[in-house]
Amino acid sequence: MSRTEDGDEKTTPDGATQADAAPPVEFEEEANNRKKPDERTAVSSREEKADARKIVTGEAKYTADYSREFPDLASGKVLRSEIAHGVVREIDTSAAEEMDGVYAVITPGSPEVPNDPYTSAGQSYPEPSPYDLRVLRERVRYVGDPIAAVAAEDVVTASAAVQAIDVTYDERDAVFDAHTAIEADAPRIHDPESVENHQPGADYERNIEAHAEGEIGDVDGAFAAAADRSDLTVVETEWETPHQSHCVGEPHTTIARRDQDDRYQFITSTQVPYHARRQLAQLFDVPIRDIRVSKPRIGGGFGGKQSIVLEPIALALTMATDRPVKLEATRKEEFHAMRVRRPASVQVRSVVTDEGDLEAIDMSVLTNSGAYGSHGLTASGAVGKKQLAMYTHTPNIRLEMTAAHTNLPVAGAMRGYGAPQGHFALEGHMDTVARELGMDPLAFRSRNLISEGDVDVASSILKEGDGEIKAGGRRIRSCGLEECIERGKRAIGWGDVEQPDADYLHRGLGVAVTIQSSGVPNDELGSAHIKMNEDGSFILQTGAVDIGTGADTAMSQIAAEVLGARPEDILVQPSDTDISPFDYGAYASSTTYVTGTAVKKAAQDAREQLFEFAARMLDEPRETLTAHDGAVYAERTGESVSLEAIGYESIYGDEKRAQVMGEASHSTPESPPPFGAQFADVTVDERTGEFEIHELVYAVDCGTVINPDLAEGQVTGAMHMSYELAVGSGFSFDSDGQPDVVGFGDYGIPKADTQPPLTPIFVETHEPSGPFGAKAVAEIPTNGVPPALTNAIRDAVGVRVDNLPITAEKIRAALDAT
Amino acid sequence: MEVNLTLNGEDTTLTVDQSDTLLDALRNAGYTGAKRGCGTGDCGFCTVVVDGASVKSCLQPVARVEGATVETIESLGTQDELHPVQAAFVDNAALQCGFCIPGMIMRVTQFLESNPDPNEEEIREALSGNICRCTGYEKIIDAVQDAASRLSNERAMVSDGGRPVPSGQSCVDCSTCSGGERE
Repeated sequence: MSRTEDGDEKTTPDGATQADAAPPVEFEEEANNRKKPDERTAVSSREEKADARKIVTGEAKYTADYSREFPDLASGKVLRSEIAHGVVREIDTSAAEEMDGVYAVITPGSPEVPNDPYTSAGQSYPEPSPYDLRVLRERVRYVGDPIAAVAAEDVVTASAAVQAIDVTYDERDAVFDAHTAIEADAPRIHDPESVENHQPGADYERNIEAHAEGEIGDVDGAFAAAADRSDLTVVETEWETPHQSHCVGEPHTTIARRDQDDRYQFITSTQVPYHARRQLAQLFDVPIRDIRVSKPRIGGGFGGKQSIVLEPIALALTMATDRPVKLEATRKEEFHAMRVRRPASVQVRSVVTDEGDLEAIDMSVLTNSGAYGSHGLTASGAVGKKQLAMYTHTPNIRLEMTAAHTNLPVAGAMRGYGAPQGHFALEGHMDTVARELGMDPLAFRSRNLISEGDVDVASSILKEGDGEIKAGGRRIRSCGLEECIERGKRAIGWGDVEQPDADYLHRGLGVAVTIQSSGVPNDELGSAHIKMNEDGSFILQTGAVDIGTGADTAMSQIAAEVLGARPEDILVQPSDTDISPFDYGAYASSTTYVTGTAVKKAAQDAREQLFEFAARMLDEPRETLTAHDGAVYAERTGESVSLEAIGYESIYGDEKRAQVMGEASHSTPESPPPFGAQFADVTVDERTGEFEIHELVYAVDCGTVINPDLAEGQVTGAMHMSYELAVGSGFSFDSDGQPDVVGFGDYGIPKADTQPPLTPIFVETHEPSGPFGAKAVAEIPTNGVPPALTNAIRDAVGVRVDNLPITAEKIRAALDAT
Repeated sequence: MEVNLTLNGEDTTLTVDQSDTLLDALRNAGYTGAKRGCGTGDCGFCTVVVDGASVKSCLQPVARVEGATVETIESLGTQDELHPVQAAFVDNAALQCGFCIPGMIMRVTQFLESNPDPNEEEIREALSGNICRCTGYEKIIDAVQDAASRLSNERAMVSDGGRPVPSGQSCVDCSTCSGGERE
C-alpha cells in the first residue's frame, strides 16, 4: 500500500535502523513446503474431525467421565470467600470434619497446603506473571477466593460440609474500579513483601500490577506540530470494554490421585499439561518426574484452561485423604472464581494529514486485573501492540499500559488476549478519523495499512513482556489484507446499501481490520514423535493440546501430506506428559504454526527412514523416490511399494530391522500475523435505538488453510464470541463486589435464535515459515465485531457507542444528545 | 431407592439417591453421554428424551421418571452405523469440543420428530435452549437441515417400497441406496 517505502527508513525502539536489523524478505523454505492447491492430498481437504464419531455417539470421554474408573474417588468442594476484601479471622471446621462421609477438610494451615506463593498463569518458565497467589487464603481479595476445601464420599456431602464451615472475617475497604484503584488513597490490595513480581512498573502502593511504555519517533513533537498547522488534524477518542467469561462448555474439572509408584497423576481439563506439571511440582516441592498430567477430551478452553486453578487444591486434598479426588467447578464458580477477560479503558489520540496519512498515534491502556496478577503485563500490553502493528508505517507511535488490581475476579488469558479490547479502541478510532476527514473508512485505511514485504516495528514497541519480537522488527512475508477487504466488501455489499422504507429505520455498514500472531515469538516449543506400524499406519504423538479445535486432525493432515498416507492412517494420541513429547500448550494461536511445523519435520524424518527401506525394496536410488497414495514410487520405473509392505519390511524384514520413527522439535523467533477484515450490516431504529444485525462477514488470511471445515468453525465460533463482547450483557457486581452473574441465565450468551448469521471467507496466502504455508486462525476472528458494529451504527445513525456492550439504550441516549 | 424405567428400549432398574436428578442417575449408571454444564437447565448439555419430549435431565428429579421411557445419546447409532442425525453432524463438521453435542443431538432428534421439515427460523428457535460455545451455530443449523432431509428420504423410501434404512443406520457412504449426500 501507499506508504510501504517510508517504513524502511524508520528507526526501531532500540534506535537501530531497520536496514541494519530487519529480517530479510527471503525465507529459506523447503521445496516441498509450497504446493499448489491441486498438488495437496491431505492438507486443505475437509477431513472428518478425528474425534467426530465418538463425540456424536456420546463416547468421547471428558475428565468427569473418568470418575467411574476410581471406585474410591472422593468429591471435592471449595469454600470461597463471601466478601470482596478482608482477612479470615477465625475458621471453625469442626462441624464439617465430624460429618459422616467427610474424608478431609483443609485450610491454609493444613500441612498439605503449600504456603509459598505461585501464579495460576500457565505460562512458560520463568512465568512473567507475579507469584501472588496461595492455594488457600486467609487474606481474601475477591468474592470467590478459596479459603478451605473438603473431600467427601460424594458431592452432596462435600457441599454440606463446606456449608458447615464457620468463617469470621475482618472486612476491609474494597475497590472495584481500575481508575479508582490506582489513586493514592485507594485501599491497598497486596503487600509487596508477600509477592514476587518481576514485571516492570509494579507499584503496590497504587495497586499497579504492571506498567510499561514505549515510543517510536517523537509523539509529543508530532502533536506540537499539529497544534501549529492547519493541514494536520488531531482526533481523540476513549473506549471501554467489560468483563467477558469464556463460558467453556465443560467446567474446569480435575481428578488427582497418587499411583502405585508413589507418583501423582492428573486427568485434567487443561490447555497446558506441561506447564501444569512444572508449576505443580514447584509449588508442592515434588520432583517434576513424579507428576503425570494427562489430557482427555476437553470441552473448550478459550484461554480459561490455561490457568492452573483447581489442580493445586485437588492435589492437596489427595495428599490429605490418600484417595483420588475429583474437583469440578460449578457454573457459578466458572463465572466468578475461574478466570475472565480483563476490562480495559483505552484512550487513543492521533495526528493525521488532510490526505489521510497518519503522523502519530498515542495509545494509553488501563486494564482491570482483578484480585491477582495473571497475564497482566502481557495481555494488557497486547491491548496496544498487537493491532498497532497494522499501522506500523505511522512515524510516531507511543503506547502506555497499566494493569491495576481491584477486588474483582481474576483476569487471565482469553481468546484474543487483549487484542479484542485493543481492536475496539483502535479500529473505532480509525473510523472516527476517517469520518472526521470525510474519507471512506477503507480508503483511509488503505493509505496506512501494513502489507506484504513490510517490516512491523510497532508490535515490539514495549520492550518488556514475553516473547518479544527482536530488535529490527517482524518482516511480513504474507499479507492478504487487501484481498480480505475486497472480498468482504463484495460479500456485505459495501457502498451499495438499500435503505429501509420506514424513515425511522437506517441501515449502515461497518468494517474493522484485524491482526493477531501465530504463537509467541521466541517463546514456544513444539515437539513431535511419529512411529510406523507394520500395516503402514502411524502413531503420532505431540504435546499439542486439542481442546476441541480439531488440532489433532490438522496434525494428522500435515503428517499425511509428508508421508503420502491418508490422514485417517495417522493416529494422534492425546497429550500426556509421560508419553508425549514436550509442548508449551494450546495458547497464543500457536498449535498449527509451531507444533504443526514440528510434526512436519518429524514426518520428514520418518519419511527419510522409510525411503531407505523402499530404495532397497525397489532397487532404486532413494533420491528418486516420492511418497503418495499410500505408497512410495520410483521415478524411473513407476514401480511402487506400499507403506504397508515397508512397515512389515522394517519390522520383520531379513536384511535390516529398524522401526521407522521420526522425531523433531520446533522453536522459532517468527510469529507471522494472520490478517482479516470484519464487516457488519445493521439496521437501527432511531426511535428506540434498537438494532438488528443482518449479517457478520469475516474475511481472513490465515495462509494455507489446513482443514476448511475446522477453520470455518474457528472463524464462526470466534465471531460468536466477538459478537457477545459487542452486545452481551456481560458481568456486573453489586456495590459490595458480589457477582450479579452466577449462571448462563444472567449472562446473555448468544443462542441459536439470537446469534446473527455469520459468514466466513478465506483468502489464501502462502506463509513461507509455516507448515505448508499455514498461519494461525483460532483467535483473530475474536477481534472484529465490536469495532465493526460501532462503526456500522455510526454509519447508520451518525452516533458512536464507545463503551461496550452496545445497547439500544446507549444508542438512544446518544441520539438524544445530538 | 430404586427407579424402574424403560431406558434406551430396555427395562431397567436404577439404584439412586432420592435427591438425585435424572442426570446424576444416568451418569452414575455409566450413561455419561449426557453432560453437566450448569445444573440450572440453561445450557442443554444434559438433554435426553423422556416419553417423547426433550428434557433437561439436570432439572428432572429421578423419582419422576418411574415408569417412563427415557432415551439417551447411547440409544442412537454406533460409530460404524450412525443415526442420520449423528451422521449429519459429522458430515457437516457441526461440532468442535463436542461437550454440547450429545444434548444437542437428542434435542434435534426429538424436534425433527415433531417438525420433519423445519425452516431455519424454526431450527434456531428449537435450539434456543441448547448453548454451543464453539461453532457460532452455523454448521449446526446446516446439520439439522441435512438431518431433516436424510430422515425424510428414509421415510420416503419406506413408503414407496424402497429398501428401508434400518433404524440407527446412516445412508452416508452406502453404495446400495440413493438417499445419501455423497451418492
